[in-house]
Amino acid sequence: MSWPILSVTLFLPLAGAVAILAIPSSRARAIRLALMAVTAVTLGLTCVVLVAYLAVPPAAASKLSGTANGQSLSTIHSPITFQFQEQVNWLQSGTSLSHLHLAFNEGNSAFNQAAPPPINFSYHLGVDGLSVWLMALAALLFLVAAVVLSQRETRLRTFAVLMLLSEVGVLGVLTSLDLILFYFFWEAALIPLYFLMIGWGDRNRGRAALKFIIYTVAGSLFMLLAIFGVYFITGAQTGVYTFDLPTLIAAQSFVHTTQATTFSLFGHSFPLLNPQEWLFLAFALAFAIKVPLVPFHSWLPDAYSSGTTPFLIFFAGIVSKLGAFGLIRYNLTLFPQASHTFQPLMLGLAIASILYGALAALAQTDIKRIVGFASISHLGFVVLGIFALNVDGLNGAIIQMVNHGIVIAALFICVGVVESRFATRTLSELGGLARPMPVLAGLFLVVTLAGLGMPLLNSFVGEFLILLGAFQASPVWAVLASLGVILACWYMLRLYQGLTQGELRLPGTEAVSDQLQTVSRRLGRLDVGPVEVVALVPLVALMLVIGVYPAPVIRYGRFSAAQYVQAANRQTATDPALASSRASARNLP
Amino acid sequence: MASTAPGYPLHFVPVGDLLGILPILIVGGGAVMVLIWDLVRPRGQEVWLAGLTGLFLLAALGTAIGQWIANSSPIVVFNGAYANDRFALFADFVVLITALAVVVLSPGYLRRRGLAEGEYYILLLASVAGMLVLDGALNLIVIFLGIELLSIPLYVLAGFARDDQRSQEGAMKYLLLGGFASGFLLYGMALLYGETGHTSLTAIHAFLLRDATAGHIDPMVLAAVGLLAVGLAFKVSAAPFHWWTPDVYQGSPAVVTTFMSVATKVAAFAVFLRLFSATLAPYRAEWTVPIAVVAIISMIYGNVVAVAQTSIKRLLAYSGIAQAGYIMIGVALGRPDGTEASLYYLAAYAFMNTGAFAVVTILSRKGEDCDRYSELAGLGRREPVLAGLMSLFMLSLAGFPLTVGFFGKFFLFSAAIHDGQLALAIWGILTSAVSLFYYLRVILKMYAPAADVGAVEEFEVASVSPEGTAVAAPTALGPAVLVVVLAGAGTIVLGIFPAVIYTLLQGISVVHG
Repeated sequence: MSWPILSVTLFLPLAGAVAILAIPSSRARAIRLALMAVTAVTLGLTCVVLVAYLAVPPAAASKLSGTANGQSLSTIHSPITFQFQEQVNWLQSGTSLSHLHLAFNEGNSAFNQAAPPPINFSYHLGVDGLSVWLMALAALLFLVAAVVLSQRETRLRTFAVLMLLSEVGVLGVLTSLDLILFYFFWEAALIPLYFLMIGWGDRNRGRAALKFIIYTVAGSLFMLLAIFGVYFITGAQTGVYTFDLPTLIAAQSFVHTTQATTFSLFGHSFPLLNPQEWLFLAFALAFAIKVPLVPFHSWLPDAYSSGTTPFLIFFAGIVSKLGAFGLIRYNLTLFPQASHTFQPLMLGLAIASILYGALAALAQTDIKRIVGFASISHLGFVVLGIFALNVDGLNGAIIQMVNHGIVIAALFICVGVVESRFATRTLSELGGLARPMPVLAGLFLVVTLAGLGMPLLNSFVGEFLILLGAFQASPVWAVLASLGVILACWYMLRLYQGLTQGELRLPGTEAVSDQLQTVSRRLGRLDVGPVEVVALVPLVALMLVIGVYPAPVIRYGRFSAAQYVQAANRQTATDPALASSRASARNLP
Repeated sequence: MASTAPGYPLHFVPVGDLLGILPILIVGGGAVMVLIWDLVRPRGQEVWLAGLTGLFLLAALGTAIGQWIANSSPIVVFNGAYANDRFALFADFVVLITALAVVVLSPGYLRRRGLAEGEYYILLLASVAGMLVLDGALNLIVIFLGIELLSIPLYVLAGFARDDQRSQEGAMKYLLLGGFASGFLLYGMALLYGETGHTSLTAIHAFLLRDATAGHIDPMVLAAVGLLAVGLAFKVSAAPFHWWTPDVYQGSPAVVTTFMSVATKVAAFAVFLRLFSATLAPYRAEWTVPIAVVAIISMIYGNVVAVAQTSIKRLLAYSGIAQAGYIMIGVALGRPDGTEASLYYLAAYAFMNTGAFAVVTILSRKGEDCDRYSELAGLGRREPVLAGLMSLFMLSLAGFPLTVGFFGKFFLFSAAIHDGQLALAIWGILTSAVSLFYYLRVILKMYAPAADVGAVEEFEVASVSPEGTAVAAPTALGPAVLVVVLAGAGTIVLGIFPAVIYTLLQGISVVHG
């Protein structure tokens, strides 16, 4: 591909941000239109990438290309196929010894070891069957957020610019194929998100933002250490020092995990786990915080309840998916054996998230917090599917990531409408809204049913496949997870019924029935406006389309899922304990 | 060319030797010229003094760049007492650029605070000369000379606000504790000399190498190494030898703090790195753990205590202690990649810390420095550019990508992991996470709506500055803002293209003796 479509897609929002800065901040309408135009064009480009990716026959593309650092591995194919690759050198320290090293070693050989390996990393982009879907989802949700963003929002221009910068970060995480570039985008995306969190939202937002950032960065920093670990261990064992992901994935076939740890704490080595397992845990921690899985989730309710609707659409919709994306893209491929070793741990955390999230959602009175905990529960399913470590589970996880993005965005729009009309988020203060707001109630019903996994709606497809995969891994997990599906009906319907059904209740009014007439007269102003309908309808349409005819999504997701399962099942033959899970992977349709 | 041939009269100094220390001569000569100009100038023309000072610093910087380009191999002058190698030149660049930034910041600030005096620039130049001496010192005597030449003007500068009690208190503390530190250093040097019979680092290195190759570890040398480490740790303000730092940083005029926090650290680390990673390398097995412990204590103490601060200058002081801990990782490794990483971090630190202090300098009003936390409230509305840049510096100090601070930590942690010093990397990571708390709180303070700060303050802000017309604190635009903008540009550009400095470091050479 001579035309760098990924770079163009990636930096288009950045260019848009610069352009929006040129518009005077008083011209709110122009700013909003420009924001919508930029996000729409970005969505168009990601759709081009998606269609072009799906159009290429997978077999023709399965060639490892553009790995400048991996000469000795060039004959080995990475199990994952990356397309539209672009690679530009970013930092090349060279292979020869620097003068500093020579000076140190001069006459001093007894006390100085050989020079450290060169540090090379590159600007390397590419997509596979996992990231194309998420890119399209991300671009869609940013467009929806731009549509929902009110023209009267305070400091609209700043919001728009920060939003576009977040989009650059998110797309960068999804497209980067170099560990350093990935980490760079992963962390850099936090900066605009932080400013969005502290600048807009309710009174609690400062604390919520700080909590989110500290949680996330603490996890990410361990990942940075683990990235160095991957670099040096792979380098020491295969002679290829690189941060390049395709090369590293290919190289993992040669890494011996049984080798004693090369890490030491002032000379004492860690006896507990082998290096690969430590590295797996460090990566998994960063991603588990982002997802979030249950012991690391406590930033989420605060962040979700204090944010504004446009922010939450892309924050809950796509940013939280990046954690699950990382688990698939990095943990499964770089640490295949550790993925199997820690399968019970990860599945346990997933089950804990599903059940805890569901139960906590039942206990909430704040409607945004209900959605937040529901999200934890739903994302538990995604992780369950990933660590089923078979094609069905992973296929379901990929689909469910897209589904959850669509559903959670729609949920936040609905809940956001209620909050903006009545200035309260307390469930018990509201009720019977279906009468004054029939259109909202109708759309909300579809979204609710999608959220609880109703057949013929999108989440059913994903959850079904995930449970199928979990059952193959072990029926116990599937049974436990099914409890989560039951609870989902409960908390989703509690939210929906509480808001829309029963006696009309509005905050601060006692004799509601007397006021019904007054309220009905204002019906046009209470119900969803054209803007919200425009934002909700495509999401609801997608729920129906994926729910009714999921075959294309499943088929294309399956190819990628199979590749990742293949990557995760390498190098496991020596370990008899893992034979069963491998067998289950092989028996798949 | 290094040695004076026998038969020359003693007073004859070869031209080559003088060329080798040309940047020092320019800066030192500049101090004298400024002194004379200060005597004959018309009153009230302090700006010209700043201009003259800047001119000398620029000339020295130009000379250093010329020497970098001209000599890729190190030049040792004055009979092996001073090395004009790329290691020294790199440190010279950082010191001179920081000093230039300080000189640009100074006139406006000194005028606002009513401190405008000619002596300021003379002392500044003298201190810079001391730093340049330290960068290339290859002899214990020269190191001590550099330390004292650096410190004594700084003691005076710290107390430069003569009617400010805190400034006086800080200066006195700095003087007393600095004197102790010099004492430690001197004792260390004496022991080292007594044991090896040399003051030249070259000769000491050779002696220790012989010693260690024979498998003999000399306890007296160990004592000397310990004393040297204490003295230098004081100068770089690493915990637990940091006690002077918060008071001195808070009390000193903001421009002096800027200079002290960056340039002093760079020069002291230059000695630290050369002495430990090169000269004392044969004893590496003995000192690497203690230095690592100091690094870890600094990272923990600096970052944890910074969380509790309510003064910006004290916050930056504790942050400086923590940053010294990070840079110390590279010293503790005692290997080339550690040295490179430390030098990289020092350059990064120069940009971000100078920038942060420059913002504090600009915000300082008549009579007193901008120091209270609450003075930052609403800065995002009053001064969007300054607030944005301050946020950038805070993010950089916290080590976020897109800023130079990220690659600073990147190279340090990478080197630590490669050398198997996982403990250093892990403590670095944990404390970095803690540091987010206070760095981000500064940003939050600047952008938080007045309602979050407190109803009373909101009322005040609303009544004083309606609709963003900044009545409260008009910014002295001009050269000072230029410094902040340039520091910000450097922070971002080097944060995206780390190769700029990294390639410089690849071509570096260090004379270890």
